[in-house]
Amino acid sequence: MTTLFITLVTALLFDRLLGEPRRAHPLIAFGRLVQWLEARLYAGNAFVWGQRLRGGLAVVLLLAPLTILVWFISQGHEIALLVNVLILYLAIGARSLVEHACQVRDALLEKNMPLARTRTGYLVSRDTAKMNTQDMARATIESTLENGCDALFAPLFWFLIAGAPGVLFYRLANTLDAMWGYKTSRYRDFGWAAARLDDVLNFIPARLTAFSYACTGKFVSAIHCWSTQAGECASPNAGPVMAAGAGALSLQLGGPAVYHGQAQDRPQLGTGSLPEADDIDQAVNLLRRSLGLWLALLTLVWGGLQFA
Amino acid sequence: MLEHGGKLRHAAQRYGIALDQWMDLSTGLNPQAWPVCDIPTSAWARLPEDEDSLIEIAQHYYGAANCLPVAGSQAAIQILPRLYTQHKNTLRVGMLTLAYAEHAHAWQSAGFKLILLAADEIETWLNQLDILLVVNPNNPTGHTFESAQLLNWHQQLSARGGSLIVDEAFMDPTPEKSLTPYTAQKGFVVLRSLGKFFGLAGARVGFVFAEPGWLDRLTELLGPWPISGPSRMIAAAALEDRIWQADMRKKLQRQGQRLAHLLTDNGLPVSGGTALFQWVETAQAESVHQQLARQAILTRLFTQPRSLRFGLPADEQQWHRLERALIELDYTDEGSDSLCEVAGR
Repeated sequence: MTTLFITLVTALLFDRLLGEPRRAHPLIAFGRLVQWLEARLYAGNAFVWGQRLRGGLAVVLLLAPLTILVWFISQGHEIALLVNVLILYLAIGARSLVEHACQVRDALLEKNMPLARTRTGYLVSRDTAKMNTQDMARATIESTLENGCDALFAPLFWFLIAGAPGVLFYRLANTLDAMWGYKTSRYRDFGWAAARLDDVLNFIPARLTAFSYACTGKFVSAIHCWSTQAGECASPNAGPVMAAGAGALSLQLGGPAVYHGQAQDRPQLGTGSLPEADDIDQAVNLLRRSLGLWLALLTLVWGGLQFA
Repeated sequence: MLEHGGKLRHAAQRYGIALDQWMDLSTGLNPQAWPVCDIPTSAWARLPEDEDSLIEIAQHYYGAANCLPVAGSQAAIQILPRLYTQHKNTLRVGMLTLAYAEHAHAWQSAGFKLILLAADEIETWLNQLDILLVVNPNNPTGHTFESAQLLNWHQQLSARGGSLIVDEAFMDPTPEKSLTPYTAQKGFVVLRSLGKFFGLAGARVGFVFAEPGWLDRLTELLGPWPISGPSRMIAAAALEDRIWQADMRKKLQRQGQRLAHLLTDNGLPVSGGTALFQWVETAQAESVHQQLARQAILTRLFTQPRSLRFGLPADEQQWHRLERALIELDYTDEGSDSLCEVAGR
């Protein structure tokens, strides 16, 4: 437990001090590998389950060898600690998440709409061309809340449960979902396995994230929004996170947005006022407080075990 | 005032063809400009602030700490010689014989005597120069200098208190060849522009890179608010849009090659070029220029040497129109009217 605790705190410190590696992030190399394998396993004319099977095989081929390799390395003694820290550090992207959100906020406060649009475009896949200040603040807050799970709490959770192999497995599965998990004609079946795996892996972390947002924000309103609004969301895991986050912040999130030129009707989430640029800070602070809560609880457990 | 490309109204009157019929290939500006959208009223109503995001974004994009935004690189080109005028009788300034003409014009107007050199003569003449000014990639020839060579020249010049000035207006499609990261050194000046690659020539935004003390003197000469608030906003957003940039670099490389092939295949072999323009040396430059102009296609004509510069067509329809016009060219046509006016320098 002590090693686990030290590794976790060191990796978080690395992230805080260094941010994401600007050059040569290993996930880019993994992305190339994914494309390479996709070109070989994707069948243009396969039946639904044939295509799903191919997608599933791709997931196994991509995840299993790397996870087993990391499991072997993390069993060793000398370099294991270093490797564990490195993998967890690479799996979390808290600082870059906060930086991106704050950059949108700065552009909005400067009232530089073209710049704010460009920066919002880095965070969300929806069309930014016709967004106003509130739309951009809303998109940024949604992205912050959702990525708080994907890029911070879920990796921490899987690291605590299964160490470096666990967090690696989660991060790679999450990347596969980002590349294949779309309901387009190309990926509906091929990406099916990746999307389901991501749903399963995020099930508990998403709810822990949602609960953390509730505990460190407006608790009653967060729980109310979670229980009444989360079910209307298309995604089983983004629903609780966004609904609880919106409730914790007392902001109205969700609602219609334009993706790839097509308007999509999304459920309304949260309560209270529409978000403004300043509210991006509130979302970032909620994320920080939630991380504080996790660290405090971990310290308590670790301290308790020392005495026991 | 020197003549430049882009004088479409003039051509429209001269050839009696309505303005909206023209395809303007005379400039080397990207016709697929970065998409500017709404500018808030406050940007027009307030004085621009130096503390906005522009500098930080520019530092990141250009990989250089010391940068000064100016109203297009032209503003810098014009004022640069004034930083040296107290030594105008002793400083020996070398530049390319055939390059963007505003440089020579600015230094000559400030009273400097120039040593005009071909690209391959610079090496031999370098020890006789105090200031060397090159355009890289060169406009209109497309000649690109090796970074190592320019760095070596800078070392030789700065060792005796001289300067290297590099105009990198067409560098954005090949950022790895830019020398902006070296401009913290004494006697190293680089100019950049948002007009070409980003296609934002109307915004009038450029940057000067040099050591801080030198930039301070330039800032003094330019005075406060050298560029407008809306232009600062657009520049910041365009420089930050890395997705658009990466996509555009690929597109422009393809289009530049396509243009080179199209010209070469139709009897106009290119002598050089960049992703944004191609340069054709031909004895029939004047005639070709006129024949294309009669088809409402405006190119940039140079008389010394006789040559033409072609920018990129804006869309597939224009590509086809250019191809048809090139196929129909008559190389026995002598050309008629006086060209001094169109040609400039």
